[in-house]
Amino acid sequence: MINLLDIAPLLLLLLYTLLGVDYGVLFFTGRSPLRRFGTPTLWMVIVLHGLYLVGLTAAWGQFPAATVAQAFSILAFAVALIYGLLERWGGDRASGFWMLCQAAAFQTLAVVLRSPVTPHHEIFESPLFGIHVFFALLGYASFAVAAGYGFLFLRLYRELKRGRFTVFYGKLPALEVLERMLVGGLTVGFIALSGGLVSGAIWLAQRRPDGWMSDPTILVTLATWTLYGTSLLLRRLGHWQGRQTAIASLAGLVIILASLVLVQLLLSSVHGTL
Amino acid sequence: MSPSRTLPEEPAIRSGSEVTESSGPSLLTLGVDFRTAPLELRERVAMTPSEAEELQLRLMASDEIAEALVLSTCNRTEVYLRPEDDETAFRLALELTFGRRAPEIVEQGRHFVLHDREAARRLLTVAAGLESMVLGEPEILGQVKQAGDVAASLGSTGPILRQLVRTALHTGRRARKETEIGVGAISLGYAVVELGRHIFNRLEDRRALIIGAGETGGLAATALSERGVRELSFANRGDARAETFLQRFPQARRIPFEERYEHLAVNDLLVVATAAEEPLFERSDLERVVQQRKSRPLLIVDLGVPRNVDSEAGELENLFLHDIDSLRGLIERNLDRRRAEVAQVEAIVGNELRRFLDWYRGLEAEPLVAQLQRRAEKIRRREVENVAKSFPPELHDDLHRLTRSLVRRLLHHPSHQLRRGDEETGREHLDLVRRLFQLDEDSES
Repeated sequence: MINLLDIAPLLLLLLYTLLGVDYGVLFFTGRSPLRRFGTPTLWMVIVLHGLYLVGLTAAWGQFPAATVAQAFSILAFAVALIYGLLERWGGDRASGFWMLCQAAAFQTLAVVLRSPVTPHHEIFESPLFGIHVFFALLGYASFAVAAGYGFLFLRLYRELKRGRFTVFYGKLPALEVLERMLVGGLTVGFIALSGGLVSGAIWLAQRRPDGWMSDPTILVTLATWTLYGTSLLLRRLGHWQGRQTAIASLAGLVIILASLVLVQLLLSSVHGTL
Repeated sequence: MSPSRTLPEEPAIRSGSEVTESSGPSLLTLGVDFRTAPLELRERVAMTPSEAEELQLRLMASDEIAEALVLSTCNRTEVYLRPEDDETAFRLALELTFGRRAPEIVEQGRHFVLHDREAARRLLTVAAGLESMVLGEPEILGQVKQAGDVAASLGSTGPILRQLVRTALHTGRRARKETEIGVGAISLGYAVVELGRHIFNRLEDRRALIIGAGETGGLAATALSERGVRELSFANRGDARAETFLQRFPQARRIPFEERYEHLAVNDLLVVATAAEEPLFERSDLERVVQQRKSRPLLIVDLGVPRNVDSEAGELENLFLHDIDSLRGLIERNLDRRRAEVAQVEAIVGNELRRFLDWYRGLEAEPLVAQLQRRAEKIRRREVENVAKSFPPELHDDLHRLTRSLVRRLLHHPSHQLRRGDEETGREHLDLVRRLFQLDEDSES
């Protein structure tokens, strides 16, 4: 069981890469090498990834977010799942390449940052901490999806503005649809991250009342939460339009990745104990 | 089935006249299109539906023509025939279709003639949009269907041409579904619609405003109306053109030209096509409009030469300004995309043509298969009767069941193979089976 779980991250990375190639060929040439098996393969990979996470939970007796690698693997799973649901809901496969590239990138980080032994932490036994992790990862996954749509929005916006049409034009959904997905992703992410921050703050207040001020991850997360909240508010008030919101979503994702990777690797913090 | 051949005195305009030996039905196609004849001649042989019907009836009145189909559109007049005699059918069709209306077509050889397999392929490539002046245009599929329906209702198509029309329609649908041969706008009006579709979620929920009720404005209005924009408004300084525009588009609402900015705040799509020398829309005014619209995008298509919209307005956030060059670039790109699909569509045509020919061979094999089964049944019955006396009467039914089942099983696979046929060996196999089972003698007896 453990051996299978050890090779699963690499196997999942290969599968995400294969899917990325299939969706990429579909995007650029209009023809999928896997043809009608593309979507079933996506769902097969999502189910396999879900089983891997269930297997980890069973093997270690705790929510599988005890390491940065596991957190990235959950992010890859969440992005693929959200995209899979969107594809099922809207029937659009054009954005699949970009979303699956993200999932593959997250899974790559999960493979690269994997530690040989997964530590047990008693903090995972606290239900409040579990809620905190769940909300935080859901928020990050939603921001990742929003950033994906933000990137596509900016590409199409640019082409429509300049009147120079490349491969993006004619393959993506309408600009308004991309914007709606972008804002939807940001809204879900903001609500989830708010839940993550509140539950984390309550949990931390019980364990280490003065700890959060010295934790760079918390400070960076607060900064991204403010960035996303401000961009949603400015958009709501009509001061910001799709382009600015899309740029904010990309900037937010970069900050999140930096906080997850650099802070966890280089600095000691409450989150660094993971 | 007669082997295809080039008719005497036939003008060798098309490669179709260089036909090879094939195992398809005997077919003959002659026609004119934009490649063989100029508009002036095409106009003279273009037929109204009633004229096309009349031609079909006159063709069918000849004993030398078993089936006939006439396809006449603005860019082509084509006659598809299943001739009993190639030469007579050709001369008759040539005279009735072109000779009387535009003798220059016959004299100058400005028509094409195709035989058998190539004649069948022609209808498939026509339906797929490969023979259209505007590559991949969608209207031709409906026109082929209509021609097939008319011919069927007149009784001028039999099993072969009816199946050919069905195959052509299937080919056309496949080409448009499986390739991008029909993708992308290739006219100014539809390019406006295409741009709108890439910006707005549902064009059907949008309002469009057209400034200028001339010919270009009309093109945009036609495309937008066909795609069903929620509301169409227009402004024009002169009354005469405005009246004509209203007659063409009665659903459109005329607004005063001076109120164009106010209306722009509620419209999502603006098409400007006037001959004005000065810009009708200034950046500063459009900036105010964009602010009023908050986060709703605005598409402006400036079809005027010189331009009617201040080009600096294109820098405004969420305002998409396109001029005639931008649209031409888009159309050229779409045409390139369609051209790139031709090989793929040709493959579909080849595939469907093979299926049509297979179907035809199956049709040809059917009488032989029936003959084979009759002969086998005759032998079975005779042999059973010969031995029946040796069996008790209560076993006779079982004896019949057993032998019938044996014969059916033995003949199942050979019959299936004969019906499926094979382009190379199908005819040989039919002859072989005829000889092996002495079916000719059988039929004579």
